[in-house]
Amino acid sequence: MSELPSFELIRAASVSDVAAARRGHLDCRLLAGGTDLIANLRRGIGGPTALVDITGLPGMRDIAAEPDGIRIGAGVTLARLIEDPLIRCRFPALADAAATVAGPAHRTSATIGGNLCLDTRCVFYNESEWWRKSNEFCLKHRGTVCHVAPTGNRCHAAYSGDIAPVLLVLGASVELAGDGGTRWIALDELFREDGAAHLALGADEVLLSVRLPVEPGLLAGYEKARFRGAIDFPLAGVAVSLRQADGMLTVLRIALTGTNSRPLLVSDCEALIGRPLDASALRQIDRLVQKQAAPMRTTIIPAHYRRRVASALACRLAARLFAEA
Amino acid sequence: MSLILSLTLNGRPRTDLVPDNLLLIEYVRDVAGLPGTKRGCDGGECGACTVLIDGEPRHACLTLAARCDGQHVETIEGIGSPGRLSPLQRAFHEKLGTQCGFCTPGMIMAAEALLRRTPSPDEAQIRAALAGNLCRCTGYIKIIESVQAAAENAS
Amino acid sequence: MTGQREPAVGRRLPLIDGIEKVSGRAIYTADLPAHALVGRILRSPYSHAELLGVETDAARALPGVIAVITGADCDKTFGVLPITMDEYPLARERLRYRGEPVAAVAAVDEETAERALALIQLKVRELPAYYSAAAARAPDAVRLHDKRAGNVLREVHDEFGDTAAGFACADLVREARFRYAEVAHGQIEPHAALAEYDAERERLTLHSVTQVPYYVHLMLAHCLDIEESRIRVVKPFIGGGFGARVEPLNFEIIAALLARAARGTVRLNLSREETFLTHRGRPETGIHLKLGMTRDGRLTAAACDTVQRGGAYSSYGIVTILYGGALLHGIYDIPAVKYDGCRVFTNTPPCGAMRGHGSVDARHAFESLLDTMAAELGLDPFAVRRANLLTTPTKTANGIVVNSYGLPECLDRVQNASGWRQRKGRLPPGRGLGMACSHYVSGAASPIHRTGEPHAVVELRLDFDGGITILSGAADIGQGSSTVLVQTVAEIVGVDLGRLRVISADSAVTPKDNGSYSSRVTFMVGNAAIDAAEKLRDLLLAAAARRLASRADLIERVGERFRVSGAEGPGLTFREVAAAALAEGGSITVKGTFTVPIEYQGGKHRGGAVGATMAFSYAAQVVEVEIDPDTGMVRVEKVWVAHDCGRAINPLAVEGQVQGSVWMGMAQALGEETRYEDGLPLHASLLGYPIPTIVESPPIEVHIVECLDPNGPFGAKEASEGSLAGFLPAVTNAVADAIGLRMTELPITPDRILEALARKRRERRIAAARETVA
Repeated sequence: MSELPSFELIRAASVSDVAAARRGHLDCRLLAGGTDLIANLRRGIGGPTALVDITGLPGMRDIAAEPDGIRIGAGVTLARLIEDPLIRCRFPALADAAATVAGPAHRTSATIGGNLCLDTRCVFYNESEWWRKSNEFCLKHRGTVCHVAPTGNRCHAAYSGDIAPVLLVLGASVELAGDGGTRWIALDELFREDGAAHLALGADEVLLSVRLPVEPGLLAGYEKARFRGAIDFPLAGVAVSLRQADGMLTVLRIALTGTNSRPLLVSDCEALIGRPLDASALRQIDRLVQKQAAPMRTTIIPAHYRRRVASALACRLAARLFAEA
Repeated sequence: MSLILSLTLNGRPRTDLVPDNLLLIEYVRDVAGLPGTKRGCDGGECGACTVLIDGEPRHACLTLAARCDGQHVETIEGIGSPGRLSPLQRAFHEKLGTQCGFCTPGMIMAAEALLRRTPSPDEAQIRAALAGNLCRCTGYIKIIESVQAAAENAS
Repeated sequence: MTGQREPAVGRRLPLIDGIEKVSGRAIYTADLPAHALVGRILRSPYSHAELLGVETDAARALPGVIAVITGADCDKTFGVLPITMDEYPLARERLRYRGEPVAAVAAVDEETAERALALIQLKVRELPAYYSAAAARAPDAVRLHDKRAGNVLREVHDEFGDTAAGFACADLVREARFRYAEVAHGQIEPHAALAEYDAERERLTLHSVTQVPYYVHLMLAHCLDIEESRIRVVKPFIGGGFGARVEPLNFEIIAALLARAARGTVRLNLSREETFLTHRGRPETGIHLKLGMTRDGRLTAAACDTVQRGGAYSSYGIVTILYGGALLHGIYDIPAVKYDGCRVFTNTPPCGAMRGHGSVDARHAFESLLDTMAAELGLDPFAVRRANLLTTPTKTANGIVVNSYGLPECLDRVQNASGWRQRKGRLPPGRGLGMACSHYVSGAASPIHRTGEPHAVVELRLDFDGGITILSGAADIGQGSSTVLVQTVAEIVGVDLGRLRVISADSAVTPKDNGSYSSRVTFMVGNAAIDAAEKLRDLLLAAAARRLASRADLIERVGERFRVSGAEGPGLTFREVAAAALAEGGSITVKGTFTVPIEYQGGKHRGGAVGATMAFSYAAQVVEVEIDPDTGMVRVEKVWVAHDCGRAINPLAVEGQVQGSVWMGMAQALGEETRYEDGLPLHASLLGYPIPTIVESPPIEVHIVECLDPNGPFGAKEASEGSLAGFLPAVTNAVADAIGLRMTELPITPDRILEALARKRRERRIAAARETVA
């Protein structure tokens, strides 16, 4: 009757429920807003015997102010991030980034945790069963070859979440719960540069919340290159945070999405600390981004465009924030 | 697997036995027999299936019916009072916000969600609220005018 | 006493079926209630292969499978043009594109149907596949169709006037190459059909999303090998067409074949991906254009060479390649025009007709080169167009009569509205203004099937209830054709709109109509409706005269009342007059017809019927853009468009049509493009095919120009297509104005803009370096 494959829907009320569901259904998938997962399941990508609804876990829907920051449950919707007064006041860049995701009717379902854990995307992967089968499938799912780089041995599907870069430059950490209890890791450690396995989550783990520290004077922003004014995933997305004192940079962080198989915190930005953000600094940012962004042929728009626009947006955003600071 | 789903559909409570994997769009169209909610894409790309769940716009094609237990679901058939067009429906009709009409139910539902929260939206707010609803006929100009007219008539 | 009625024609009337659409009550094909089996199509995973066998035993054995059909179940080819019927509903012997239907199943539910498809095995021998016109034309290429040497469907070589002499006497001759991506219609409703086969009576009813129920009817009879009288074709509400549905499509015939095989009812709802695979959009096109011009901007000659990648089957291909040449005429006065066209078969989904059919890409090339040359001569873009206007009435070099020509007024209107004189050349960096003109036919003058019948028929029925039913085969696909019919009949018969209802596009009830394509309905069906309405009016006047003991020519109508001119008293109500008329012989049915006179059916040269029309619409538009140099994004700030549609029977609907077509031109110009990876579509979703959202869609200010055509209904011409083509050159002309880039490859996606900017910087550096060396 349904366009979806058969599965059992399990509602988890606790982390141990999740563990039990996983023991009963080794191939189960965790379900939050479903805007990514259900769309993929409809295309025949995966056929889990169970979906585990984790939005009922304790604290999943909470946004809580803490003494030195803020804690956001992984099940908080993007629509709520956009409107929440606490987020708008302390981390407007996060609200702005959330507003760039898909369309309004996605954001009322989609969650911050789901967006962080968004599956990677590729023109050879986000296709129907008929399409992928006609193409002998691909390394990411049921196949042996990555059509993007057939001679290589890894999947190059691109990470395309809009929220991760902002959280990275804001210094976020995430709370993971598993069989051995909970642990906090820096968000950067959640990801790996492998399109087929980009999340460094244990098989027993579930993402529970995100913590953002307050850093006084830190300004952040997000710029997204996409073809249309809505709906589209980022061709490239750039988040920048910076702080200055007396015209000199004291903090500079840059993070990218859409260019690699993971959201990428650009390294070596420290070299710019203690300098003004002048033309030569901007050229250096341009070089850093161009060097570290590694877009492959995973989108219809060519990869070199995504690299170029990532660096252009990074420079533009950094200059704007520096001028505001 | 199936479950007994109890929800309020267009103001009326109902209970059905539905499979876990049933999409809300399938429930609304095939189980409840309300074909006004349209399917225009293969999942989450066009907005034609936009319905309201507890007043918020959602894609019926990405939503599991089973997850709507206890919620208020509204479709185009439930907007306005019986036999009388709602202000938005009237405006879309009179201002030609609809041509072929296929995107119209989703468009009106997205606009309905907007006007309930923001009764007098400016043009940017209208564009933002309808950003996920594709129309191939109108170029959107008369859709914007329709929402503006509905807001003016209601105020 | 009722006063003067508000005229029905010229009124901003909402669509007569709008209430159904806004309330969710409009029933589209996929919404039809039916206890139906689920149909599914198995599609070719190969681009090009000999089909050696289709193994279906396992699928047939699956419980819940009611019917499985393959190419063996239909040995008839179909197609919209009688001379190029080259498609099988299900492939036989050869597979020619990835996505081509090979087999189909009818099963009790979707899951069973899907499982059955997976059990069907294909035995093939793969052949070399060609994804570009050049590859398919290579000397050693395997033929897709045995009879088509060089994989060429049709070559066209026409010359009107002496182009060599024209170029020789020009002060400036320039040529340029252009490339246009293939684009698709993207109607929001996916394809769907519901086929009911009454096995006991051997009768078929098909509900489908078609714009051309009559052509579908013919091909169903042909492919099922049953008489037309046993078939009924109904078009319910349709979620857009734009040309995607102006020919019989494989899934419609497959649904019927499945229903017959299953001896029951089959629903075939296609996915969005399958809708893209069915295709029939505008082909990938390469154009080499050469223009000659005098110093004062007069065109002396034009030569256009066009190659189209047509896809695996003919579809409308011959018409499309002929249109490309024919529509170089009819807009400007050009002494000599040469056209060479070539339509090529490739292993991609078949192209067909799409809004602005045949005119769009060539118009872009023409208006771009015109602008380039004007700039070189120091002429304003408006001036160079005004230097080449037609004088009417006239007959074009290719034999098309032009009686009405509102282009001069269109130019004036958009020039003034956009503030062109004050603003052009004075905008901030990155911002620019561009303009262009375009035109389109108001109905193809020659029907596809030359049966000798009228080109359009409308029936009106008046009965005891005092209601008038308009029976028309014309397919309202959202453009509002039924509304236009109501306004037309109300105007002539002189009755309130509430008396009228329309029943359309049901072959059991309505007269045959050729369908909704080439912007023919308002013009042709409108004229037939006038004819019918005048007959009904005359019957009513005669009846009134009898009751009032007067003469029909002395009867005047005030509101719905009939009275003798100058006489006292209330006269007769419409109901009284209708009763009098019905008393003669009961229920009244009148029929109106329209046929395009032979002198309007085009030149005598081969292919001369294509492009021939009784009237052209004309449009001019100004587009303002802003370009982001960092991202290459082109943002359209505003469009001013003037469209000469003759009499605007419904100005509200005209505005909607013009806005929609300008916007669709924008979609093609800025981003839409089909892309294939070894014949597999990368674009077959509404993420991969970027239909613009409301966010980046600009305001489009419409100016209606009413240059009445003597042959149009109330002087009306077409309104739905003519302003599409102009957007493309207007926006690239605006880009040239803004950043000095002449874009010749469309769409002008941001990556192409950035690349062009980088190329320009490189060229400047090289030029500077050379100067330094020198």
